[in-house]
Amino acid sequence: MIAWESKAAKPYLLMAPVVAVIAVCFLLPILNVLFLSFTEPTVSLHNYARIFSVPLYLRVLANTFKNAALVTVICLVLAYPLAYTLVRRGPVIAGILLAAVAIPFWTGFLVRTFSWLVIFGAEGPVAGVMRWAGFEPPRMLFTTFAALWGMTHILLPYMVMALYGVMKRINMQQIKAAESLGATPVIAFWRVFVPQSLPGVINGCVLVFTMCLGFYVTPVLLGTPTDMMIAQLIGQQVQELLAWGFAAALSVMLMICTFAILAIYDRFFGLQRLWG
Amino acid sequence: MIALVLALIVAAFLVAPLFIVVPMSFSTAASFAFPPPGYSLGYYQAFFANESWLTSVFNSLIIASITTVCTLAITIPAAMGFVRYRFRGASVFNLIVMAPLITPHIMAALAYYNFLAKFGILGTHLGVIIAHTVLTVPICFLCVCAAIKGFDTNLERAAMSMGAGPLKTFRMVTFPLLRPGFLIGALFTFLYSFEEPVVALFISGRVAATMPKKMFESIQLDADPIIAVVSTLLFAFAALAILIPTTVRLFRDRAA
Repeated sequence: MIAWESKAAKPYLLMAPVVAVIAVCFLLPILNVLFLSFTEPTVSLHNYARIFSVPLYLRVLANTFKNAALVTVICLVLAYPLAYTLVRRGPVIAGILLAAVAIPFWTGFLVRTFSWLVIFGAEGPVAGVMRWAGFEPPRMLFTTFAALWGMTHILLPYMVMALYGVMKRINMQQIKAAESLGATPVIAFWRVFVPQSLPGVINGCVLVFTMCLGFYVTPVLLGTPTDMMIAQLIGQQVQELLAWGFAAALSVMLMICTFAILAIYDRFFGLQRLWG
Repeated sequence: MIALVLALIVAAFLVAPLFIVVPMSFSTAASFAFPPPGYSLGYYQAFFANESWLTSVFNSLIIASITTVCTLAITIPAAMGFVRYRFRGASVFNLIVMAPLITPHIMAALAYYNFLAKFGILGTHLGVIIAHTVLTVPICFLCVCAAIKGFDTNLERAAMSMGAGPLKTFRMVTFPLLRPGFLIGALFTFLYSFEEPVVALFISGRVAATMPKKMFESIQLDADPIIAVVSTLLFAFAALAILIPTTVRLFRDRAA
């Protein structure tokens, strides 16, 4: 493209530092986890066999997928009208809605998790309203319900941005054209807008689902140990039991699941598009 | 119309819960009772007098700052090479750079916990900076690549045709035009490191404990109401940082 292009080594030189850093400070530690999963405490496949032979751990795996799927679907249902309104309305409404998405995004996971901890707490506003209405509030905190609710709240902005990124490129004149040719607004929406927004739906679902699979903070703080997800089990195995080998095997399982989903996505759409 | 109503409800669901941390931070109660029995500045005083909270904020600022510098230093040249040249192995390179983003963070946490301990830097600032530098490379790379892709290389050719050398061209043409993109990359990197809750939780130990780690432990272990103060401050910063530019832009567009 420009004058200093001629030297063939140049791009490699420019990229060498980042590749070196990631190779030494990321790929090596990850390979070490892989190694631990086969060698700790003894050289065997025992850690992997344990995941698939103990019903509790199988339930954790099933739970993780079930929760991730549920959160993904709820996020999609909530995010779609929001993203649609973002692209259909003028700058004032769009500005307000974008701020409503961006503020929680930048406030951080822990503040948002803490907010729900207060809201669902035994002395919190929800329990207060229930008592005022005359019935005894059920236990809301430290339940699967609270964990799912919190994860949905935290991952929703990612879904909105994924949908918005695709929807803003849809040509709205086409909807007008469909309507001028006799389609009702509902039919124009379903047959012209929705099909073109599907790449955004897929992006958002893949992002939210894979993030949810490995979610640690919110399920640990709002959820219950009796209904664990895999990240929570990994943390517990390391911090409480020092079971490095088993924790490593669980992480490898989690990584394989995540990579498998991304590989399928890459096959059909190209990974580069996921982050728009 | 239905979509607008739904959108506003969802927007309220996103933002409204955050406001609850504000009254909690002025509470006089020692628990998280809502509404608070009374209001005072007690927990603000307690926060600014609490060494472990202040240290955690300081640690996070230091770690995020140094991480940002390191990440930019290795990512900008790589992004230049990646966008500007055609070369063999581009897709492999892209996968390597994106690896920290697509790997579940709990696994990265486990990996660093074990790895940093081997070199005796578990629980040190250096250890967290190394981990955060790697984890922020993909995010910074995406921001910087987007900026470089939008850059018109004819401007460089013009500068060179008028006698500027490669260095002078970079300094006077390329860098000033790409600066906004670099700044966005720096901002995302800084905030990511500042708020990263999982890896830091496992590896920052006691001495280098970051603010998210302190918040996590405060919620999990001692239900310390000072966390409401920290949450309110973070919420206020985020809200101002988003609302001021948005409002300014709206008014400017209207004036134009």
